[in-house]
Amino acid sequence: MDIDIRYKPSFATIFLTLEPGESIIAESGAMIAMDAALTMKTEFNGGFFSGILKKFFGGESLFVNRFTNPTRKSLQVVLSQSTIGDIAEAQVYENNLCFQPGAYIASTPDIKLGVRWAGLASWFSGEGLFKLQASGQGTVFFGAYGGLTSKQINGDFIVDTGHLVAYESGMKMSVKMAGGLLGSITSGEGFVNKVTGKGTIYLQSRSIDGLVQFLSSKV
Amino acid sequence: MKIELLQQPDSTIARITLNAGEEIVAEAGAMVAMSGNLQASTTLRQGKGGGIFGGLKRMIAGESLFLSVFRSPTPDNTLFLAPKMLGDMLHYKMGKSGLVVQAGSYLASTSDVNIDLGFQGFKSMFSGESIFWLDMGGHGDVLLSSFGAIYEVPVKGEYIVDTGHIVAFEKTLKFEITKPPGSSWLSAFFGGEGLVCRFKGNGRLFCQTHNAPAFGQLVGSRLPPI
Repeated sequence: MDIDIRYKPSFATIFLTLEPGESIIAESGAMIAMDAALTMKTEFNGGFFSGILKKFFGGESLFVNRFTNPTRKSLQVVLSQSTIGDIAEAQVYENNLCFQPGAYIASTPDIKLGVRWAGLASWFSGEGLFKLQASGQGTVFFGAYGGLTSKQINGDFIVDTGHLVAYESGMKMSVKMAGGLLGSITSGEGFVNKVTGKGTIYLQSRSIDGLVQFLSSKV
Repeated sequence: MKIELLQQPDSTIARITLNAGEEIVAEAGAMVAMSGNLQASTTLRQGKGGGIFGGLKRMIAGESLFLSVFRSPTPDNTLFLAPKMLGDMLHYKMGKSGLVVQAGSYLASTSDVNIDLGFQGFKSMFSGESIFWLDMGGHGDVLLSSFGAIYEVPVKGEYIVDTGHIVAFEKTLKFEITKPPGSSWLSAFFGGEGLVCRFKGNGRLFCQTHNAPAFGQLVGSRLPPI
């Protein structure tokens, strides 16, 4: 499998070359173009009940599509997201990766997607009550509005609400005020998300919430 | 005439240098800046694809009724053109085959390019696309715009594109609206891909990486109702 993410960071798009017999699972609606010889099969997102959970709690769709190369030559599929912005790929092995609702785009077939309880702290910081978790072994693709930056953390790290796109599982999340009560309100930071643990987190440089807030005031 | 595309792919703007006597036609509102010597006028265009009827047909296709014409009376005048949305532009030189352009993607063309309303049949209506496309012929330069980056696919044989990601294609390509290969009709609808365009033949196809209606829906659904 050859992975080429072009037009980073504003219009990032995955150009994926599948070798004979290889397949990729993609979020429903992610395919923008492909060689006509590839086959597409629609499946429940990890089984019926799991699919329902993911739809309602993980911000993902009930169905995913599996693209397979049944021929003897390399074929290409092009995947993207509905928001403009960056796309990153991450390797998953022992470190399970958790996503903000809607960030998941595609994964190799040995990746399992599940929905986990993320907790009230996560919900409070705008990341949702449930989180989508990728486990198994392989590559997973996820997207953001704005650019994506990865950061190794060890200990505490503060992230503004709505900017945390993905993080390795095992990290704890708690909500706190950015400063004192007055400082939090006047600085415009409000509540922030405190991530504690060791591993990689992925941040988006802009947030849809920010855009929505801006546009709402203009409507 | 010299056409350069700057700031690709996200904030693309076209810098056009016109010689004496040259003119370019552009979608109303596309002009960002220009030399003081350029003469700008509004037209419904004459001839094929022109006149009131041509203008109304363009409106049906999601383009503006009027077009702006920029004529250069002296050598070396500059004109800057850009679309309203973030995105890429494509500079296409008309060849023998003619070009079919998705409604809304047209930005500008030189005066020997004919713009007509093409009817792609009711099949394209089901795909969520407009049933009308712009049918471009003649010779000269065409500027198209997109939401997202534009990339070219040299189609030889068959190729599949999700409806909504097509910017333009050469008329040597035939297309049909169908379900994705290997899927049932049921899964085509539930799988979120809906219907796709299957292109056949040899020719150049231009796709956009993103889709403005999809992004609009994502943001618009969260805006307060007016």
